[in-house]
Amino acid sequence: MKRILILIAIIILIAVGIYAYKVYTGKVPSLTEVASTAHISAANLIAAFEKDSAAANRHYLGKIITVSGMIKSVENKPSVVVLGNLGSLSSVRCTMDTAFVKEMASLNSGQPVNIKGHCTGYRADDLGLGADVVLNRCVLETGNPK
Amino acid sequence: MVALSVTMHAQDKYYTKSGKITFYSKAPLEDIEATNKSVACVVDTKTGSLQFSVLIKGFEFENEEMQEHFNDDYMESNQFPKADFKGQIVNNSQINYSKPGTYTAQVKGQLTIHGITKEVQSTGTIIVAPAGVKAASSFVIQVADYNIQIPSLVKDKVAKTVKIVIDTKLDPLKG
Repeated sequence: MKRILILIAIIILIAVGIYAYKVYTGKVPSLTEVASTAHISAANLIAAFEKDSAAANRHYLGKIITVSGMIKSVENKPSVVVLGNLGSLSSVRCTMDTAFVKEMASLNSGQPVNIKGHCTGYRADDLGLGADVVLNRCVLETGNPK
Repeated sequence: MVALSVTMHAQDKYYTKSGKITFYSKAPLEDIEATNKSVACVVDTKTGSLQFSVLIKGFEFENEEMQEHFNDDYMESNQFPKADFKGQIVNNSQINYSKPGTYTAQVKGQLTIHGITKEVQSTGTIIVAPAGVKAASSFVIQVADYNIQIPSLVKDKVAKTVKIVIDTKLDPLKG
């Protein structure tokens, strides 16, 4: 009986150890492995933040979302895909996951895309640079953009 | 040299939306390092006005657990999603934005983190090159100054100061 108890205690200790190790060393996962909680067009996402940023924060801040829209521009170092209407200063800025830098070479302005990313928030036009919704760790999604 | 002087038009404002801020916190329990690559910054070369805007959830950590603690327990980033700096390059008249070189910038202004605004001073570097302007600085802040609570259980094991390193490449703002 005593032996069984010791054995159970050892198994529990090993399990706790493995769990603690996984938590301590757990990397932030690639978003290719994470499902998005919302799918919205770039124009509607910008409009939601412009209308009521507190409500939009509750919906989107810190969430993994898929945004569809026209590419306004592609920037390098770091790699950013900017979505939105050419006539508007407001944009959705998607900083791409470094694993997707190769795919970015085929992207052009005016092309429709779906991009999944972690919504890090909204920057109102405080600096005179236009307002932005900012996504990071972004990955390209296949399928027809809405 | 002639070609260089032609390309070095004096611009009033320089900006970026892809600036980099990294912070470092070294302590017995754990060293913490995180980077934000989506920092917005505008420098007005005429007036010396300097502004930064940073989204807190944009800081990326190596470890997922650390990123969650940082956002939920320390920075409360749902409540305080942004940090910003509004200030002035005090010795702006000594920086020649149309002459390539490395200049020391004395910066003074108001830093808002976690909803608390404090007066800060720092020294930075402005590098003027034909391709644009680079601005860099590093300074240390006290966590307690910004009312960031460290749970009592880990109080002696988490650093009370954080080193912030800023690195931006600025482009001329047209229009």
